[in-house]
Amino acid sequence: MEPALDGRIKLTLLGGFLGSGKTTWLRHQLHRGTLCDAVVIVNEAAERPVDDALLVRAARLFVLAGGCACCTGRDDLVELLRRLCDQRLGSDARLSAARHIVLETSGLANPGSIVDAIRSDPVLIHHIVVSEIIVAVDALNGLEQMIREPLCRQQVETADRLIVTKIDEAGIPAVRRLLATLAQLNPGAALSGAIMGSPADVPDYAGVQPETLGEVSEETSGPIAALRLDLPEAVDWTAFSLWLSALLHARGDEVMRVKGVIRTPAGRLLLQSVRKIVQQPEILPEADEDAERNDNSVVFIGRGFAAEDLRRSLRFFAGED
Amino acid sequence: MCANCGFPSAPGHWTEAGATTASERLRARFRRAELLRRVLSPYGLTIHDDGAIPGIMVSTRSGHHEIVADLTELWSAVERMCGRKVDPLDAAFTGGSESTKR
Repeated sequence: MEPALDGRIKLTLLGGFLGSGKTTWLRHQLHRGTLCDAVVIVNEAAERPVDDALLVRAARLFVLAGGCACCTGRDDLVELLRRLCDQRLGSDARLSAARHIVLETSGLANPGSIVDAIRSDPVLIHHIVVSEIIVAVDALNGLEQMIREPLCRQQVETADRLIVTKIDEAGIPAVRRLLATLAQLNPGAALSGAIMGSPADVPDYAGVQPETLGEVSEETSGPIAALRLDLPEAVDWTAFSLWLSALLHARGDEVMRVKGVIRTPAGRLLLQSVRKIVQQPEILPEADEDAERNDNSVVFIGRGFAAEDLRRSLRFFAGED
Repeated sequence: MCANCGFPSAPGHWTEAGATTASERLRARFRRAELLRRVLSPYGLTIHDDGAIPGIMVSTRSGHHEIVADLTELWSAVERMCGRKVDPLDAAFTGGSESTKR
């Protein structure tokens, strides 16, 4: 990727709904070396980051946690970008060499608001040009998310490029319908597919009837919140996974996303779920003390549940009550 | 799937990822059965897992029983057998004011 002709650094926005596969896609691009000269910024709505453990290959990685950059974390993002621009022009050799910034948004961000924040900042506008908005859409859950969540539609509408992830996990008729709906919602966006970040062919969707997306009232759906649960000492993997499997079976539509790193006799396990589907836990290497500080702390994103209820319920399931 | 850019995944059902050696696995199975018994007894269900049967056996008081391979299957079987889901956010588990004895 070349810098923009006017000397401004290019910024790619990588967005998509909760659990749509943003980090997996980015991780593969970093592994392939296509973005290895990029500065990566990861924004998470949750207080404690998880994704940074997965993006160890980035040239420089910055994590903005504790607020979504399109709303509550907007000032922090602008401040970070200003600092990067300063350092890029100054003495920081690694940053001067950087030609590209990739900003992975939180799953709750409207990319349009972030572009707006960058364009409306009197300093950033002279240093950064938003070159592309890439939005990941989950082949399994994407259609349902577009039907239920106005935010998911906004994300799709703002994209220059839509990547349908996990395309091998959904049936071809479902993928076709999703593609037709995406094309109707955002006819200008390029559509492609991905499996674990690798490019994959998309099926032909000509003539397929798109899903009718009705009106969704924000008031009836309520806001999506992120909260953190620190596992008590006595709660081991067996108790936690038993409780979580029951929770996702009963409340998978409300508990939209769960992620965290949990210490077990089998090593540090990275746990991630999207609605009812739990990804096979990855065994993370031992890390330094700083990174392990966040272990045994699990982030829950969704609506309709309170932190205290989760805590009490987990204690009950673990036999602590 | 790209085998290079990720970290290795734990094999088996995700809930069983916390144990690697045979003795750890057996200990985890016994603990799981013990925890399940406590959670499911108000639903009139009993759990049996002696480490030898290929899964978890769940039985009703009337003697109907099913053997399930993992916890994902278990929660579906429980829902089928007692006609409702075990919801961890039910007041009976969270100690909420609407707590009712089952």
